[in-house]
Amino acid sequence: MKRFEQLNPLAVAIYYLCVLIITMFSMNPLLLGIALVTSVISGILTGTAKLRTHLIFALVFLVAAVLNPLFVHKGVTVLFYLNDRPITLEATAYGLCAAAMLVAALYRLRELSKTLTSDKVLYLFGRISPKLALLLSMTIRYVSLLHIRWRKISDSQRALGLYDDGNLIDAVRGRARVLSILITWTLENGIITAESMESRGYGSGRRTSYAVYRVHTADIIFIIVCLLLTAATAVGVWQSQTAYYPALDMDLLTPWGSAGAAAFALLGVLPLIINAKEAIRWRLLLSKT
Amino acid sequence: MIVIQNKNLRTMMKYVIPFVLIPVLVAISAIVFAGQRYIIISLGIAVLAILLFITGFERKNIGSRRMVITAIMTALAVFGRFIPLFKPITAICVMTAVYLGAEAGFLCGSMSVLISNIYFGQGPWTPFQMLGFGLIGLFAGYLSKVLMRSRWLMLLYGVIAGVAYSFIMDIWTVLWYAGGFDLKLYTAAIVSAIPFTLLYAVSNVVFLLILQKTVGNKLNRIKIKYGV
Repeated sequence: MKRFEQLNPLAVAIYYLCVLIITMFSMNPLLLGIALVTSVISGILTGTAKLRTHLIFALVFLVAAVLNPLFVHKGVTVLFYLNDRPITLEATAYGLCAAAMLVAALYRLRELSKTLTSDKVLYLFGRISPKLALLLSMTIRYVSLLHIRWRKISDSQRALGLYDDGNLIDAVRGRARVLSILITWTLENGIITAESMESRGYGSGRRTSYAVYRVHTADIIFIIVCLLLTAATAVGVWQSQTAYYPALDMDLLTPWGSAGAAAFALLGVLPLIINAKEAIRWRLLLSKT
Repeated sequence: MIVIQNKNLRTMMKYVIPFVLIPVLVAISAIVFAGQRYIIISLGIAVLAILLFITGFERKNIGSRRMVITAIMTALAVFGRFIPLFKPITAICVMTAVYLGAEAGFLCGSMSVLISNIYFGQGPWTPFQMLGFGLIGLFAGYLSKVLMRSRWLMLLYGVIAGVAYSFIMDIWTVLWYAGGFDLKLYTAAIVSAIPFTLLYAVSNVVFLLILQKTVGNKLNRIKIKYGV
């Protein structure tokens, strides 16, 4: 088996889809607690979130948790009154859970963006529509090409003494001229690209595409495990009761509910387990002389 | 794995998505979730709408020149998203739609969001943003005759698009946060987003003013010279 990031992009995408769907769409406090803890742990261990990110997410958590009880006054258990508005226990509990959901999802999405790089996104979308994949890959290429050309034009304009950064109006005018040149150049160049594509027979037959990724047995096993754990969690959600309004009415630790929570905890740390297993194996395989 | 490369499947999807899948999703939301989980349903419908558009795009025979130019305009929109605060993405979508057609406008909007979110962070908001910007482009394409005639109307379109986009994304924020629609939270979200709404509208106007002449002339020239 390989490290988590080296699995087929489809397996990685399905993993995050499963985790995110449960995180975002169940308002089960037990599952949300697990989601928050596992996502923070995996954010720290995989190094996808730096200290600044942790602080920002903590702030988001606080704001989101406070927002709900301030604006929603449903619920029967009044904690205290603020400006003659009742602050209820139910709305506070809901706010906390919603905040946990929000922050856990943000951590996971950050991980997702770091793991699914642009080539993997392209691989996934290319399966859906080859024409779209071509458009996407051309666009991704043009983004970096535009950047390179922008620098070239900008440098030459500055070398000619045509704009200077100190004066704001002059700087904006200079940028506008660079943009104008950039667009003309790229459009003309694009026509040449299109011409070249056509003369080489683009659109005259079926297109094949080169994919670096293959579906290995490990990927299939991983996907099946993911789906099974997700199904177990879904059954757990179905079998346990979560109602916030008018009064908190929770029945979380039914046999199915606890099994589902355990499955979700396992799902949350699955990539970490895989990576840890690989690290241990690597240690064992190192020569011991 | 290959979903829509089969021609029959593609034509089938054209009818199955709007007449079967979307009604079924709505029915599921009404019966199974008792109208509770709007967000799953709206997410599903957003994805399906984009998929529907893609199937149509896949069937059409679009010249490679139009495709390359659409890619360039999309790349410009992505490139422009790196500018702090002021985003030219709407302006570029509108220009693309007006000169290259509604379809190119939709693609420019949705694909630039998809690609730039690789750098800025993908999320459940991606389908909504894709649909939002795609529709801004699509409608601009349908209104292209009117918009090309008067520059003031185009600026007005920019303002409306900015405000409408912000309002629609606020609905999504509330749905995600509260699990259902809540008018008080929605008003709070709109009020707290006022600076951003203004920023959207202003940057749309500014960039339309800047790009109207330069990009418009250039696209027109390419169209006349090469007959895109």
